[in-house]
Amino acid sequence: MDYTREKTPPIREERLGACMAFGGSCCDISRQSKKGCLFNNNRKFSQSQGCQLTLSLAILNTIRDSVIIVHSPIGCGANLVAQAGVSKGFQKLRDPNAFGLRWINTNLDEVDVINGGEEKLRSAILYADREYRPSAIIVMNSCVPALIGDDIDTLIEELQKQVSARIVPVHCEGFKTKIQATAYDAVYHGILRTLVGVGEDEEEPIIIDELEELKRKYRISRTVNVLNVSSMSRPDEENLVKLLSALDLNVRILPCYAHPDDFADSFEAALNVSICATHDDYFVEHMKSKYQIPFILRTIPIGIANTNKWLLDIAGFFGIEEQARKLIDSEMRELNIALAPYREFLKGKTAFLGGGEIRIITTAELLHSLGMEILGLRGFHFDRYGEGLLEELMEEIPESERAIINIGTGQPFEQANLLEKHRPDVFVGHPGGNGWANKQGVPVFPLFGQAYEYMGYVGVYEVARRLTRILKNTSYSRNLVKHARLPYRQDWYSEDPFAYINQDAAL
Amino acid sequence: MSKFVERPRYVCSLGGAVGTIKALPRTVPILHAATGCGGNVATALNQAAGYLGSGYCSGQALPSTNTSEREIVFGGEERLSEQIENTLKLIDGDLYFVVTGCMVEMIGDNINNSIKAFDGAGARVIGAETGGFHGNYYKGYEIVLKTLFQEFVAKNPVKDSRLLNLWGIVPIQDVFWKGNIAIIKDLLVKLGYRVNTFFGYGETLDDLKHAGAASLNIVVSDTFGVEAAQVFEEVHDVPYITAPFPIGDQGTARFLRTLGHALGIEPAFVEKVIKEEQAYYYSYFERIADVYSDLDLQRYAVVVGDSNYTQALARFLADDLGWLPELVVITDFLNDEQKELLEGRFADYESGIKPEVVFDTDASNVGKYIARHWGQSKGQRYFEGFNPGFILGSAIDRDTAEKLKAPQLTVTYPISNRVVLDRGYAGYSGALRLTEDLLSVLVGNR
Repeated sequence: MDYTREKTPPIREERLGACMAFGGSCCDISRQSKKGCLFNNNRKFSQSQGCQLTLSLAILNTIRDSVIIVHSPIGCGANLVAQAGVSKGFQKLRDPNAFGLRWINTNLDEVDVINGGEEKLRSAILYADREYRPSAIIVMNSCVPALIGDDIDTLIEELQKQVSARIVPVHCEGFKTKIQATAYDAVYHGILRTLVGVGEDEEEPIIIDELEELKRKYRISRTVNVLNVSSMSRPDEENLVKLLSALDLNVRILPCYAHPDDFADSFEAALNVSICATHDDYFVEHMKSKYQIPFILRTIPIGIANTNKWLLDIAGFFGIEEQARKLIDSEMRELNIALAPYREFLKGKTAFLGGGEIRIITTAELLHSLGMEILGLRGFHFDRYGEGLLEELMEEIPESERAIINIGTGQPFEQANLLEKHRPDVFVGHPGGNGWANKQGVPVFPLFGQAYEYMGYVGVYEVARRLTRILKNTSYSRNLVKHARLPYRQDWYSEDPFAYINQDAAL
Repeated sequence: MSKFVERPRYVCSLGGAVGTIKALPRTVPILHAATGCGGNVATALNQAAGYLGSGYCSGQALPSTNTSEREIVFGGEERLSEQIENTLKLIDGDLYFVVTGCMVEMIGDNINNSIKAFDGAGARVIGAETGGFHGNYYKGYEIVLKTLFQEFVAKNPVKDSRLLNLWGIVPIQDVFWKGNIAIIKDLLVKLGYRVNTFFGYGETLDDLKHAGAASLNIVVSDTFGVEAAQVFEEVHDVPYITAPFPIGDQGTARFLRTLGHALGIEPAFVEKVIKEEQAYYYSYFERIADVYSDLDLQRYAVVVGDSNYTQALARFLADDLGWLPELVVITDFLNDEQKELLEGRFADYESGIKPEVVFDTDASNVGKYIARHWGQSKGQRYFEGFNPGFILGSAIDRDTAEKLKAPQLTVTYPISNRVVLDRGYAGYSGALRLTEDLLSVLVGNR
């Protein structure tokens, strides 16, 4: 795969045949996904979702020592306003001197829509460089300049000669795709084109110190890039680093909360390790085709089974499975003892999950391993990576074939219908849509949180412990249901939850 | 020509329209906009407005066509018709309001073609073009009000002399709007009137529908909702007055006198109401006399925010609390006429304080104005400086406050570091809340 010669990456509907609308059983989706026509599905009624631009910000607002310029009318990127404090706090966990979030909106107005917005972008880039002296200026292109034909790449090329920061263009126009995860490709595309390998050809020493060179090569041969996600916590990262360090590996964490310079030598690694295919497939495929770095993309280390798989895949690459097995055994022994009281409490409790495909399938496995029953899953989108994980889930837990699966980004009306019909003991949901479940009287456990642990063996314990805590007192949701009302008409709850999905194309 | 904005304190006109509609009872916004517009404004309106929440049918539940490339190429009117039809089937509302994003306007979709097929067939469906390039949140507020006044409010030639309409306190962008509206309404009730506020607690769409019977529209702002008031006057023949948003005794007494004059109320009666309010207010305000003077809690202050709040906060700080709000940064998009009018609001303080008023949208400049006004320490032994200082602004201004090691209270949008429910800062009772919040910051470490 190499799209980096192009200015913009392809959209996921095209590149991965990703699907954003489906309703049926796990068994159904698996069968139909293999036929490859799910991406045609759509909705006759839809509710709001994010776009490439809003989701790109989830990574970009973590990049240290940079300025984000949103090239758009005044509203785009407004979801940043609530993130400033969070972003600063988490950046400081990596670097106490981090500045936090700095951003500019080019404020395209009625005049610019007619005359073009390049001059405003020019003045914003020059201002950002002069005012902040950042390492990187990230320029996010939105719908309006794309439609009026602003040529931001030529402008950036010209300005790159005048400013000291690296300018990183990110083409993330919202209207181009309904699969908001295309955002990750847009961000990595910009990073691959402008940050990875910068200065690579400058550092050819005249005299090569052979011993140093050997040491360097050895270090690289034991270095893995672990690709983090902005939805994980610092302790999650530390837990994963600890596991890999126990296997004598050096770990470089990218891209979230990294400094722009951290990408320059990111190709000096033996292996790229993704913890979420939804985020990383575009990056690792390119790192493989451009720098011949192999990658591991199969699963996320959530739950015992998937953490084991994740570790064994990595160990397999380095030929140290034996060492990994010993580590896994000792971790599991300790963990299983610690989990006993929580398993007792959670046994037989039912759950419905919603969020990213990778995360919900693995979290479902985690909950099942605690003795819970999985009633259904709601995925933001579905593609071959979800298909692979779902296949493994159905093999390991045969009854999950019958579980419901609903694909849609947000779409809380379908969620409301499903929760009303199935009344799970807990809804494990992606932040943003959880309040609705609470108002239906269903207690909520957030699918992820930047302040909590979810990953590795410690993550399993923490999930069990917090889930038990949440279920110990569900008064809040029980009170709410008596006084709050969802906006749907009463007869909606007796209808087919997937009545507004056009999936004829796939059948 | 407008310029870029560094860390804007508002979303676009689409966001303003959605926010305004969201604040109306049983009114359902329908977005005809690109994929992502809805999610973007929903996040900004929830998490940055004191954790307002998704409301009745907003947040992720906002119906939206999620327009993408196909519609951009072939036109999106058909998709909009389908979306309206199914929204009516699924969502229980009394009024459905179609709003548009940039892209559908740029490709020339005419929403009226879709709307007219559904309006009146068992439901009211109206709409307006609100694409983000038209302006910021306030523009969206203005557009929605105008549309409601033109298309929803019933014409009524018979006026009710005891009925008033009140707006200018912008829902959600004023994070304390609900509390503020309740306080101002309460004052007007004390003057002997009934009041439609459209966005306050307990209001119904019927109140809005019958707003044409009011005898006067009161716009509690020099800048927001004034265009809408002109439209109201043209369509429904109801005059309006504007009065600056009041906080505290000095501001609110002026406000009540202005209204009393406009409504032709006996001045003695207005003074009686003011006296009663003052009695309550000072019975609490005097409590802080000990701590204020024991700990010397007088502060220099910088006020950063919109044109409603800045003038109200600065007057309260200077004329009620006895602080020194010497610098005010107004962050709205304003024309020269509006700027001139606003400058006048800082000119007649009882305390004699005369704040320096700056118009600037960019967050980083606040620190520069502070340095310019109070000087910058070069390590000299004797130095005036911004100390002890206090910053009243938004969550964005925390960076400046941290840099200057000055205490800060977030009172203007965005507010992501506080949870706001029914708190209001307007009038007399609101000024007591504000006093509690300001001084709590100062005694927070004790």
